[in-house]
Amino acid sequence: MMYMMYFLLFGLVLGLAAVASNPSPYFAALGLVVVAGIGCGVLIWHGGSFLSLILFLIYLGGMLVVFAYSAALAAEPYPEGWGSWPVLGLMLGYLLGVVSVGTLFSSSMYDESWMVCDEFGEFYFVRGDMEGVATLYSSGGFMLAMGVWVLLVTLFVVLELTRGMSRGTLRAV
Amino acid sequence: MNPYILTILLFAMGLGTTITFASSHWLLAWMGLEINTLAILPLMCQSHHPRAVEATIKYFLTQATAAAMLLFASITNAWITGQWNLEFMSYSLPTTLVTVALALKIGLAPLHAWMPEVLQGLDLTTGLILSTWQKLAPFYLLLQINPSNTSLLLILGLASTLVGGWGGLNQNQLRKILAYSSIAHLGWMILVLQFFPSLTLLTLLMYFVMTFSLFISFKVNNSTTINSLSMSWSKAPIISSMVPFILLSLGGLPPLSGFMPKWLILQELTKQSLAPLATLAALSALLSLYFYLRISYAMTLTMSPNILLNALPWRLPSNQHTLPLAITTSLTICLLPLTPAIITLLTL
Repeated sequence: MMYMMYFLLFGLVLGLAAVASNPSPYFAALGLVVVAGIGCGVLIWHGGSFLSLILFLIYLGGMLVVFAYSAALAAEPYPEGWGSWPVLGLMLGYLLGVVSVGTLFSSSMYDESWMVCDEFGEFYFVRGDMEGVATLYSSGGFMLAMGVWVLLVTLFVVLELTRGMSRGTLRAV
Repeated sequence: MNPYILTILLFAMGLGTTITFASSHWLLAWMGLEINTLAILPLMCQSHHPRAVEATIKYFLTQATAAAMLLFASITNAWITGQWNLEFMSYSLPTTLVTVALALKIGLAPLHAWMPEVLQGLDLTTGLILSTWQKLAPFYLLLQINPSNTSLLLILGLASTLVGGWGGLNQNQLRKILAYSSIAHLGWMILVLQFFPSLTLLTLLMYFVMTFSLFISFKVNNSTTINSLSMSWSKAPIISSMVPFILLSLGGLPPLSGFMPKWLILQELTKQSLAPLATLAALSALLSLYFYLRISYAMTLTMSPNILLNALPWRLPSNQHTLPLAITTSLTICLLPLTPAIITLLTL
């Protein structure tokens, strides 16, 4: 079980280094897909299965898909990936940085473990994250309304920022 | 901009600050700050000029980074202590991270680099909103947290006063000068935050009044460079004669009201046996004073050579609302005798 967690977290760090080191949005978004998928896996191991499902559906299936379409509109004929040396060097540099900071801050590799599994001290009837969502709709009703209003304002902000085609704020694509 | 959209955005800006003021939970405070950032973005790129768009993007990136750092710090605090309350942050790592995140939000040195460029890309009214209203919510949070490390706030404060002074020296764009003046004043506010928080509030409110009058005076003259201020004596002579007082008040000279916060801060720092720091801060105010004097020199104390035709324009009644300017200019000049009353009113 811990072995599985090791794999997931290694993949997470690799994906994060990939996101940070790629100048082209295509490969960075690909790294982000990997990171989000693995993050969902880590989240399931910690007991947040509902949250992980929502993350997959909305973040990967909604936002990243829209981002991919938008990035495809701003097309780049020769995107730079790990094939070119500067990007690969940056990636290896980030990984080296993570390893060195990890070695610096860890007392030993054998005394304590870096992995945890589900960490509930007592038994609950429902999962923590399901309970949280239910609470948001019941006693957190005012904050839900506030969140809805803020989302509406965000819609107006985005519409205002992209209004006007070629005479607008963003370049017309 | 469509008046309905403008209404919604201004309402959202008010809502964001109100949510942060009303919150004792870190998540809610973060939410208020994010609403503020979001709502001001379309206001900033209203003119659709590339420089305004660039300023908007820079502002968004820095504010989003600061908000992410704030969220990270509050989650770390919740992980360590198990609670989300604003006032009970007792561990040093989250507290320091929160302080640095809020310093990036308001533009304290050494996290100030975005401020002059962002203000330069905006028109004067939006710049005014950025310099005044957007500082309220982060300052509220700074006043609430217990500082972990005495020297962090002192270093931020002193660096800001010095950077604000030295950075503004070689500028002739008024908005950049206003940005560096903002950085310097924020430095003064942070210096005294952990000793006497009421003085921070006092400095903040005095700074709002003084910078409001300066921004609006520049707006009435429709000028964004020092050179274009040189003919304001013929167009708006009363404003030209009052602006040196506003500038000297910003520089902190007695008997104008800008002296009030600096005087009380120096007194408090001396009481805390930080007299060398107080001396350094007072000396750094001299740097700011130099460029304030330069503006007043160009605007009022000198008449630039010009043809006679430009010296005699028609002085038509202004369409701009100048009542707020009148009120804040009077407050900027005459408020010093009310110091004890103001201190009593603002005692937290």
